[in-house]
Amino acid sequence: MATKEPALPSLISPNEAASLPRRTLLTGAAALGAAALYVPNIARAAGKEPHPLAGQSIHMSILGVAGWLPSSLGVDMSPDFARYVKDRYNYDVTFSFAGAPFGALFQKAATSLATKSQEYNIIISDSQWLGALATPKWIVKLNDIIAQDKSLDIEWYAPVVRQAYQVYPDGTNSLYGFPQVGDIEGIFIRKDWLEAPGEAEAYQAKYGSPMPRTWEDFEKMDLDDWKKLVAFFNRPEKGYYGIAMQYSREYDALSCPLISFIRSMGGDIWDPKTGQVEGIMDTPLNAKAMELYKSMLQWNPPGALNYFIAQVVDAFTQGKVFAAWQWVATGATMVPDALKGKVMVVPPPGFKDASGKLNRNYVIGGQPWVINAFNDKAHMRVALDFMRWWYLPETAANYLKRGGLPCDKATLTSPGFDDIYPWNRTYKYMLERSSDFWHDPRYAEMLAVQQEGWTGYMTGELKDPAKVLKYIACKQQGILYDEGTAQTEPTGACSGIRL
Amino acid sequence: MEPGAPATINQSRDAPVASTGPWEGFTRFLGRRDVLPFLLLAPVLIFFIVWNLIPTLWLLGLGFYRFSLTSGRPPRFAGLYNYRSILNDSGVWIDLSRTFLFVFFAVVTETLLGMALGLLFWNSHRLPGRRIALTMLFSPMVLTPVAAGTFWRLIYDPTFGVLNSAIRGLGFSSVDFLGDGRVAFAAVLGVDVWMWTPFMVLMTLAALASVPKAELEAAEIDRLAWHQRLRLIVLHHGKFILMLGILLRTIDAFKTMDLIYDMTYGGPGSATQLVAMTLYRRAFEAFNMGWSSALAVILLLISIAFTATFIFVLHWRERREAES
Repeated sequence: MATKEPALPSLISPNEAASLPRRTLLTGAAALGAAALYVPNIARAAGKEPHPLAGQSIHMSILGVAGWLPSSLGVDMSPDFARYVKDRYNYDVTFSFAGAPFGALFQKAATSLATKSQEYNIIISDSQWLGALATPKWIVKLNDIIAQDKSLDIEWYAPVVRQAYQVYPDGTNSLYGFPQVGDIEGIFIRKDWLEAPGEAEAYQAKYGSPMPRTWEDFEKMDLDDWKKLVAFFNRPEKGYYGIAMQYSREYDALSCPLISFIRSMGGDIWDPKTGQVEGIMDTPLNAKAMELYKSMLQWNPPGALNYFIAQVVDAFTQGKVFAAWQWVATGATMVPDALKGKVMVVPPPGFKDASGKLNRNYVIGGQPWVINAFNDKAHMRVALDFMRWWYLPETAANYLKRGGLPCDKATLTSPGFDDIYPWNRTYKYMLERSSDFWHDPRYAEMLAVQQEGWTGYMTGELKDPAKVLKYIACKQQGILYDEGTAQTEPTGACSGIRL
Repeated sequence: MEPGAPATINQSRDAPVASTGPWEGFTRFLGRRDVLPFLLLAPVLIFFIVWNLIPTLWLLGLGFYRFSLTSGRPPRFAGLYNYRSILNDSGVWIDLSRTFLFVFFAVVTETLLGMALGLLFWNSHRLPGRRIALTMLFSPMVLTPVAAGTFWRLIYDPTFGVLNSAIRGLGFSSVDFLGDGRVAFAAVLGVDVWMWTPFMVLMTLAALASVPKAELEAAEIDRLAWHQRLRLIVLHHGKFILMLGILLRTIDAFKTMDLIYDMTYGGPGSATQLVAMTLYRRAFEAFNMGWSSALAVILLLISIAFTATFIFVLHWRERREAES
């Protein structure tokens, strides 16, 4: 919690100040400045704030995404928190970290929470899981806590932060999470390839238009422009490919970018207000989006059908691809020392509507912190102290410096934010053009159906996108109806439907 | 023991001096012939009941409920709903048939290769480097499937994998082993064969060790052809151990999940989706516990059917041979 340090007492009156020589005044000001630096420490030494855990030693366990920098930062920075609470509240805290890959993390959390265990005191959840964690009352509802502690009532950079990482059910005011890391889809490109001698001229000669060079150029690009660019750099005979994208059936690998295509083209996958899927998912527009996404495969490296986050990182960092469609939170991994200065991160393509306006409505990534509802009082108290510390301006600054992506407006609008890392500008830009999809408790079941159908189409196992969409719509409608989220059950057209 | 009852054998042997303390009475009770066997079995029985029987019964029961772990609702009794849903799910049937194909090709290949290699190593005690060769041969079997899957995934990689590098070196174009639905199944099958053929070598060597030398010497004196020796003596004596190996491999291959999880996650599309992976995904990704329990029961019954069939065949042939 950001509490103000006690104000310095006035040592000299204004009248006295006016009569003192200039040198004396400057010397006094310097002494005051030096004293001001020490006052917090003096205050701490003099007496720490009363705290129910003073003198105690607590061990906290965090569950997060294995191999995911933003998750590990939460733990790497925990010694700072330990020092903070020791100085401020006089209690000791240690941390341990348990991790699992994205596809297995929810399983690890859910199986522990289902037994009412406090094995993991704080959990880094994926944004879509809020419903699944909140509905069985496994995580703490935060409304009262935030109402009582204004330091946790933070102004976020964009409304999507609250919607994606805090609120369940959608459209309500019930809060269950604190943003741990914001994340959006961006495209990492090899700036050095763009700038290589002769490339711009060759591009101009081939397409009759200048090669995009700046962030502003990429902001104006639609999918057709991107196709030209990645086709230009696709040189399989030399072992180089145009772009790496995610097509894997693992977790939500394919779903996120494909839903981004669908939404940016003006389609959708469901109506969150009524739970209706049929008639929204299975449209010709969505079928067209599937065809477009599949058409990008021709410029991907062989093996792209199994690409998830790590495989895209490998392809890009090994110099196999010109561009990589990737979550920007991977930035520190995507741009190792060898690639520093050679990479630009730009917004993914826009999609033109009937009026010719470029639309971007992409899926948001990122994860919130959630607090285990089965924590005992001591662990609950430390968890909340941790959250207060996490949102201190100095903690946010340190997190940003280490490659994390905060979501608060103060940090994102601070001077120089855009230039700290190559992906920061795109992060801010896309945060305003991103939204989440389901927060429903049956999220995982709906995702499994969707991934099965869509990956089947991408591999060529299933030929007809309309039939795939109908299958997904029917199955998801059934799941949501069974759950009570959808008001209507699957129509007769769904009877006996198969892939 | 009742006071005044006749002394047991143990008492007369171990406790000739009568004692009346509670501890002595307790030790006498433990030493009784009708109690001791149960006491010795108790740890195993308790373990079996806690870790096998109760979870199996729980699984059987849960199969009749609609229960999503994440819905926050208590399980709802649904009778045979889950079983009907599975039987009407074409995806499950396709995954099941793919699994049977996987089991068939894996077990047949591993058995034939294992027997061939086992026969090569038979009576090779004086062969220099035999121990090193056998150790190297068995090493894939002792690796964890996740480790094996990871490095095979890298070996197979179409851009930087060593196998494709060799293929390109020979002048052919790269093969997308795990990304092409037409070859991914065979690629994963190949890794399973690589991992588990050593197990069949081991079983073959054990089977060959059970063959009486006298019969082999007699066959040699009688100048029986090698295939006759193999069929009439070696397989005759070693068939039980070999069948046991085939049975274990069949059940194990039927459960293959870890290798698939690590190499392809069932993809591309559903090209390598085996039924154990389907079960994993529905249980621990979708958290549809009722449906998954029902599928687990079906898979358990199939495994039992495998075992029963093998044992029946083995005994049927034995009976037939005894009658003839």
